[in-house]
Amino acid sequence: MKEIVTVQVGGFANFVGSHFWNFQDELLGLASDPSGDPVFKNDALNMDVLYRTGETQQGTLTYTPRLLSVNFQGSLGSMSSFGTLYNEVASTPPDVLTWTGNVSTHASEPRKRNLFLQRLYEEERDSLTQENAINGGKNKPQRETEDEDIVEYLENGVQYWTDFSKVHYHPQSLYEMSGLWMSVQEFDSYGIGRDTSWALREEISERLRFFVEECDHVQGFQFIVNDSGGFSSVGADFLENIADEYTNTPVLLYAVKDPGSHMIPKSQKQVVSKNLHDAISFSRLSSFCKLIVPVGLPSLRRSKASAFLCVEDEKPYHCSAVYASALHAISLPFRMEPLGPSADSCYFSGAVDIHGVVEILAGQARQNRVTILDVAMPAPSLTGKQVEQSFLGNLQTLTPEISEDVEDLQAVESMTIHGALGSGGHRALVSEVKNMVRAAYENATTRPRFCNLSVALCPLPIPLPFPKIFGNLVGQHGELLGSPVDSPLRGSLDVHSIPLAARLRSSSAVLPFLENRLGNIRRLGIQQGAAGAEIVRNLGYGKDELEDMGETLSKMVLELDPYSQMSSDSD
Amino acid sequence: MSIRVLNPNAEVLNKSAALHMNINAAKGLQDVLKSNLGPKGTIKMLVGGAGDIKLTKDGNTLLKEMQIQNPTAIMIARTAVAQDDISGDGTTSTVIFIGELMKQSERCIDEATLQFLEKFKTPVVMGNEPDKEILKMVARTTLRTKLYEALADQLTDIVVNAVLCIRKPEEAIDLFMVEIMHMRHKFDVDTRLVEGLVLDHGSRHPDMKRRAENCYILTCNVSLEYEKSEVNAGFFYSNAEQREAMVAAERRQVDERVNKIIELKNKVCSGNDNNFVVINQKGIDPPSLDLLARAGIIALRRAKRRNMERLVLACGGEAVNSVDDLTPDSLGWAGLVYEHILGEEKYTFVENVKNPYSCTILIKGPNDHTIAQIKDAVRDGLRAVKNTIEDESVVLGAGAFEVAARQYLINEVKKTVQGRAQLGVEAFANALLVVPKTLAENSGLDTQDVIIALTGEHDQGNIVGLNQHTGEPIDPQMEGIFDNYSVKRQIINSGPVIASQLLLVDEVIRAGRNMRKPN
Repeated sequence: MKEIVTVQVGGFANFVGSHFWNFQDELLGLASDPSGDPVFKNDALNMDVLYRTGETQQGTLTYTPRLLSVNFQGSLGSMSSFGTLYNEVASTPPDVLTWTGNVSTHASEPRKRNLFLQRLYEEERDSLTQENAINGGKNKPQRETEDEDIVEYLENGVQYWTDFSKVHYHPQSLYEMSGLWMSVQEFDSYGIGRDTSWALREEISERLRFFVEECDHVQGFQFIVNDSGGFSSVGADFLENIADEYTNTPVLLYAVKDPGSHMIPKSQKQVVSKNLHDAISFSRLSSFCKLIVPVGLPSLRRSKASAFLCVEDEKPYHCSAVYASALHAISLPFRMEPLGPSADSCYFSGAVDIHGVVEILAGQARQNRVTILDVAMPAPSLTGKQVEQSFLGNLQTLTPEISEDVEDLQAVESMTIHGALGSGGHRALVSEVKNMVRAAYENATTRPRFCNLSVALCPLPIPLPFPKIFGNLVGQHGELLGSPVDSPLRGSLDVHSIPLAARLRSSSAVLPFLENRLGNIRRLGIQQGAAGAEIVRNLGYGKDELEDMGETLSKMVLELDPYSQMSSDSD
Repeated sequence: MSIRVLNPNAEVLNKSAALHMNINAAKGLQDVLKSNLGPKGTIKMLVGGAGDIKLTKDGNTLLKEMQIQNPTAIMIARTAVAQDDISGDGTTSTVIFIGELMKQSERCIDEATLQFLEKFKTPVVMGNEPDKEILKMVARTTLRTKLYEALADQLTDIVVNAVLCIRKPEEAIDLFMVEIMHMRHKFDVDTRLVEGLVLDHGSRHPDMKRRAENCYILTCNVSLEYEKSEVNAGFFYSNAEQREAMVAAERRQVDERVNKIIELKNKVCSGNDNNFVVINQKGIDPPSLDLLARAGIIALRRAKRRNMERLVLACGGEAVNSVDDLTPDSLGWAGLVYEHILGEEKYTFVENVKNPYSCTILIKGPNDHTIAQIKDAVRDGLRAVKNTIEDESVVLGAGAFEVAARQYLINEVKKTVQGRAQLGVEAFANALLVVPKTLAENSGLDTQDVIIALTGEHDQGNIVGLNQHTGEPIDPQMEGIFDNYSVKRQIINSGPVIASQLLLVDEVIRAGRNMRKPN
């Protein structure tokens, strides 16, 4: 078993993470549910890769994500930063043991648990009492109506990422940055993140060390960071530290952008500032990881990726759910127990660890670290000949600023398909999926040089706090219906699971993304009398550092396009 | 005015309103922090929205927990926190002093005060053997403002001994060489000094000893886990055997490294019953742990980076980065190594070391907020001791300096200046009195009586401070109440600077994204 440590830095990163862990929690729940779908009940997926076992001081065993989440003070909503498991029973009022003089108490208004969290809390309490008195299913009808209330509430009421999280976290997992004295808007600047204190960085790496020390053999870090504002530089500093401390451990970095950060800037100055920001942020982040996946479209709603979805761009709760689903699919092969090179289980095939994925995508002839994330949500059923024609077309990108229809003979891909449905609504066998993909590639006009395929039988479970984003063509098991059902929006009560396909693609299609950033750094930062020179100075970067960044970016461009115009025009 | 033209929507506060806003901000902060000051101040318990508890009497900690919105208040808070970064204490004093200066609405003459401070300070000769009593007095003065007396007195000895332990002649004191470790323990409130180290992790193998005496310590930064080689060794294998062979070859390299360590162990431990402990900054995977356990070695992985340095200082030897050049000389020594388990948390104690230049302060407490508060106090205490050694002087406390400085300003300096500047000197002098005033207020004494009594004594040439229990003047020297010279100096330096800058503000323009919604 090879462990993964997950790190989430920033507000939107934690939204994505929250959905991600909800999926894992749902999988764990379904596996232990005696009346659940047998497809979830196999030991093919090793959850220990992502989770750790522990013990509270009271001797209760715990099973919590191997996670470090970094965010603002006050961003945890009603959740305590000590998590929910390790709390001693609160003695009220707590006595002050260190002071005999006066004590003044300053209590903030207790944040109320929302409907959903209230329900989790009650369920937990019930399950404790139920062990004594066996009366299950008595108040079931009442619960049904409540479920709808909860879903309705979450649709409009989500404010913090903890509002819809059903996972228990370890006290070391949740880190709040204090003493910044600024609002979220003010922190929206790369330079401010750079100023975060040194003690804070020390504390973060100390917490990371706690999780790594426990691992027998850590296979890599799964790092989700907000690619905007101050968190990006906090993340970059942290990554630099990781690269230094755990040199040979690969980092798979998702640089996520919430649609809010794509807002059209009002003034020319803001445009300049935003462009420079993006360029510096990307160049710094990419230099400390083995593989970087930019995720986050300016408008998910209007993108092809949400053909069967109705996502509201302004809600981070919605967008993060889509991104988290893709991340979940990508992470599946890391958790499959390798059976040896030739043997295949009937539940999955194509186990590969983070190091393997990095080797496949970035370690071949072309050392390109920037990959594109594509997703088909839900993945189409494998019925009839036409799926072979259209399957690849269903995979739509979640990475911004890339070009479509690029013929790249050097492209390398790593694809995961899980829970695909075959004819008649049955789950397709692993071998059927493999054959279909092979056929699909054979029919395709452009083929990648190499594609690693991982297949799992188990679909993506839709937990209760998943947002109502499915369109009216998605059925209960994620099948695509011939005719639309009545309700326009379908959520976790109507759709129980979906098949999903996700793909990481190392292709020259990402060139515009890189060239935009390279161009911006040159035009706005380095050139004589550049419009952004002032901003760069305020961020605390000298011209040399900026030139280094430009150099890094132009190397990345060159890697993909050796004849690029961009690479040679530096004076 | 040009700015207003550029942005017609910005709110503009004119001169008097701007001054008002700045003064209010300073006063607001002062009001919050005022009750913290001194050994009779109030401890603050902060309860967060989700029920998290923080306990603090430290101005620095309190400021960091506050959600400050007002730009002026943020400026003052930053100054105060910088004060803490530089000298480790005095945050509360800085804030209330700035507040008072702002209220007095004058600026000038910290020069004279600083000169006076130079004259007033009590020099302490450090030499090779620092005067432990003086150090204890300084540490006690600061600790008693944070913790109740008995606990403060216990910690006083600990912090003084800790600093003396890590102190090397002719070198700056590096307080990072004092590790502060905590344990959450149900009933125990206890703090002790461990001459050696406490690590927050244990060995990860069931067969390794939990307790060992007479140990050689190998401090190393060598990966003992199987990693795929960085070089692109070709991803594809033509058959399963090739792959197996390659994995075996890579595994063998790791085993060789482990075997070199075992060789050294056999060399130094043969014929005696000494033990061998490996503390590694990198990882050690289960097969390597197995090999080491079979050889009777205790091994810890992923040690804190800073602990590598501390280990070498505490146990001797050197930290090795490669196992190729291992010699017995690179080994350290500890008389006792043992593991302590609390729930899922493991601790390893490395004790009875020979010449410790590094030590650990171990804090036990029943809950996180108590531990956190003691930790803050210990940090302040350590800084106070360090400052004293480095300043080679101390300042009489209990408000004695402030009263004396005021007398000096009024009686001497005021006469030397002309016209309106006299008012400034007087205002500044009176602002200094906020320290004894607040001390008196927090002890429930009448501030007027106290100030009159204190200034009366000073007029007669007696340097006195405030006895918080009785309100009578006392001699701080007799009572052993001393403050850090550098803390006072810093306060006088930064207070007037920030205050005068704020007073220079004529106009405040609020513009930007959330222009029309205050908060």
